[in-house]
Amino acid sequence: MNLYQPYLMRIEEAVDETPDTRTFKLVFQDPKVAESFDFQAGQFGEYSAFGEGESTFCIASSPTRKGYIECSFKEAGKVTGALRKLGVGDTIGFRGPYGNRFPVGQMEGHDVVFIAGGIGLAPVRCAIWNVLDQREKVGDVTIVYGARSVGDLVYKRELEGWAKRSDVKLWQAVEPGGEAPDWKGEIGLVPAIVEKAAPRSADAFAVVCGPPIMIKLTLPVLEKLGFSEERVFTTLENRMKCGLGKCGRCNIGPVYVCKDGPVFSAKELKALPQEL
Amino acid sequence: MSTRILTKADLAGLVADLLSAGTRVVAPARVDNPQVAAYRPIASFDEARLDGPLPPRSPKEFFLPPTEVLLRWQKKKDGIELQEVATEHPKQVILGARPCDVAAVEILDKVMGWDYRDELWFGRREATTIVSLACRGVDKSCFCTAVGSGPDAQKGADILLVPSDGDAYLAQILTPKGQALVEAHAQRFGEASGAEAAKSFREAATRKVASNLPIEATKLSGWLADNYEHELWKRLAMRCHGCGACAAVCPTCHCFDIVDEPEGIDRGVRRRNWDTCQAGKFTVHASGHNPRGTQNERFRQRVLHKFSIYPKRFGELLCTGCGRCARACPAGMDLPEILGQIAKLAGAGVPTGGTK
Amino acid sequence: MKELRQIAAKLLTDGAVKVVIGWEEGPRGARAAFVTRPEDAERLIFDARCVQNLATYLSPRRRHVVGLGKAAVVAKPCDAKAIAGLIRESQVKREDVVILGVRCGGVVREPTMPASLTAETVADRCGICETREPTLYDHLIGEPQPEPPRVTRREEQIAALMQKTPQERFAFWSQQLERCIRCHACREVCPMCFCEQCVADKTRPVWIESSSHPRANFAWQMTRVMHQAGRCVDCGECERACPVGIPLNLLTRYTAQSVEKRFGHKPSDDPSIAAPIGTFRSDDSQEFIR
Repeated sequence: MNLYQPYLMRIEEAVDETPDTRTFKLVFQDPKVAESFDFQAGQFGEYSAFGEGESTFCIASSPTRKGYIECSFKEAGKVTGALRKLGVGDTIGFRGPYGNRFPVGQMEGHDVVFIAGGIGLAPVRCAIWNVLDQREKVGDVTIVYGARSVGDLVYKRELEGWAKRSDVKLWQAVEPGGEAPDWKGEIGLVPAIVEKAAPRSADAFAVVCGPPIMIKLTLPVLEKLGFSEERVFTTLENRMKCGLGKCGRCNIGPVYVCKDGPVFSAKELKALPQEL
Repeated sequence: MSTRILTKADLAGLVADLLSAGTRVVAPARVDNPQVAAYRPIASFDEARLDGPLPPRSPKEFFLPPTEVLLRWQKKKDGIELQEVATEHPKQVILGARPCDVAAVEILDKVMGWDYRDELWFGRREATTIVSLACRGVDKSCFCTAVGSGPDAQKGADILLVPSDGDAYLAQILTPKGQALVEAHAQRFGEASGAEAAKSFREAATRKVASNLPIEATKLSGWLADNYEHELWKRLAMRCHGCGACAAVCPTCHCFDIVDEPEGIDRGVRRRNWDTCQAGKFTVHASGHNPRGTQNERFRQRVLHKFSIYPKRFGELLCTGCGRCARACPAGMDLPEILGQIAKLAGAGVPTGGTK
Repeated sequence: MKELRQIAAKLLTDGAVKVVIGWEEGPRGARAAFVTRPEDAERLIFDARCVQNLATYLSPRRRHVVGLGKAAVVAKPCDAKAIAGLIRESQVKREDVVILGVRCGGVVREPTMPASLTAETVADRCGICETREPTLYDHLIGEPQPEPPRVTRREEQIAALMQKTPQERFAFWSQQLERCIRCHACREVCPMCFCEQCVADKTRPVWIESSSHPRANFAWQMTRVMHQAGRCVDCGECERACPVGIPLNLLTRYTAQSVEKRFGHKPSDDPSIAAPIGTFRSDDSQEFIR
């Protein structure tokens, strides 16, 4: 088995979150791997549709849940198009886990804010569940999630569950014009909702993922609210191929996104060339 | 490190021994066009052109082929079956490679072994014994001395041959693998004397190359990291076509693509193929966004990767000063010229003439 | 050269153009120059080493050049044919470029060679070239030039290949294309390869595999040559750029010979003359299309 050889995964569940976004629950075909596989929230993998190629997605499930992993992806090209055609019982490949992680351990005893936009909820979701599965370890948990419209919200069932929890403060938002008649959440862009939510920032951690423009506008809001730039984390996306630091593609300035990332603090992000 | 001596006849005999034992021997060798040599397997010592021109292509393809199968897959009734590819290879000897080409291989070991060990690369490395040949200096585009190397550099070689008096070669045995080769063919290696004779060859070659670009490229790393938005980058690559000929001939360029290739209805291979950061679509995202959308940005990346990013990460410049990029470029992009310009801006124009 | 420099400086001083694209002395020989200040016009040269076809820089794909603003470009007669091709195919508007035509007596094979034209040093295409000056220009510069040394080595090579059996020819090309590493330098330097997304880059579906193996290499080269049929101006840049020395101009020249035979068409620097393959005429000699 050379380092480019993937694990074989069976698709156990396939859920269409939105018209172009799908979530797979994947089970390792090799029971030994299923038992021993471990990863940390924030890490990603290379998922293959054999015959089409590989594509990079985060692992969207929490490492607290063993034996399977989940990923969510948007149909955008050849490989994601092929993956969308696969269903329960089909086999795909998975190489990973690669990259660095969210500092979930450091969050113990602190308040945590999760901020996501659109499909950006996928990389954040693994950290959310990692934290919720060990809820007593952290302080207040705030989730701010927005999408263009009600139809674009992902993990709708889980959002319902989080909304009902008394130990989670959930803010959901859609952009003006994206609401349904029975929409009870906020209307606006995520950065504005974060400002409205004004979560307590003292010693708190924040995790932010979403479209580049959303991140760009949210980071200053967090700074204004008093969050330390060493405690605000985001994930960077870059075109990747090998995922493990050899092919050179994801290199930005002094970092390789697949090795030094994909998780970066706001402070580290500022030091990177604005090539993104 | 021990030193032996080989006459040309000894060398021819060594090659004959290796070939008859079934060991592949790769050397700069004749091709159709008499102006050109190419690193290729030879069937006899006569085919080798050790004193010939620098092959336009580097020998990196013997460690990282232009296309390489990573795995094979087969669709079965109940799923997929994966078939591994061999990572062990028959023994081979690369003979007469230039020190710039050979240093590159050791430099690439760093990225290939970074946390994840690339078995495909190291399988070929382990099977290969490298016997390099010190160089006279090719032309004005050589700048090995500027990057901390030299025409008689030892980096990456198992044995370094240096042309000596009377059609002979001084052989510096540098590694256990080199030693093993000598022991297996002891009758071809004589006792050394005349180490002084090789000195004048080395000094002349070093002087010749050093005069091309009297700077220390290792001193550019800081300026490069701090001057990402400098004016220089905005006009430097106007003439660059992004054709990637430079990356193709470069002994240290290693960026690759990974693709799936069906070979039938129910089976296929996954390959890695040479790629280049100079290609327009190298960094394009699925959304269509391209962080390095113009040639100036892409060219900046190439210079930075080689002279700032790789050395910062691995302690080695990703360049051995072979000059092929300048020779191959159809548009006249000239890396020694550019490094000279950067050295002026960085205040780092320190003459150098050492070898390692 | 003095005339060229004066005209270039004046165009820049008057603001008629923002950049003059010509040739200059580089460390290894003549190379493309991008002059944006009138005082730098002194750098411009023109001699038999000015091999590079500068028309490629007018392609809209070259965003970094387009970004400089309106350009003047120095053009040999063959380069002017490429500019005409770009105009003909709507990549460049005639009024958006100032063409500094130069009279040409041929160039050497590589810009790094001395500027002395002999039967050995002259470029293949110049050996048969009849055009001493362009007809597409805003300024025509330079003294009338003598004919380049007449050589037909490339035509002879093609004729020799055509004497062989198809199997022998296939064996020849298999050997040549084995070296192809799919770097696509041939495409990137070609003025007529201006597609934003080349067919070889398409992934849905994969028309041409990107790997370097015989099946894919043949598919790539054959496709590129066929896409150039009737459009290639024989500037020779593809073969010159190829880092592994594949004799691509045998393919492009043979294709041009075929187009000339079948359609009576030769590359022209008159943009109003339509390209044969991309044009339909009701009196087309090909019956099947009617």
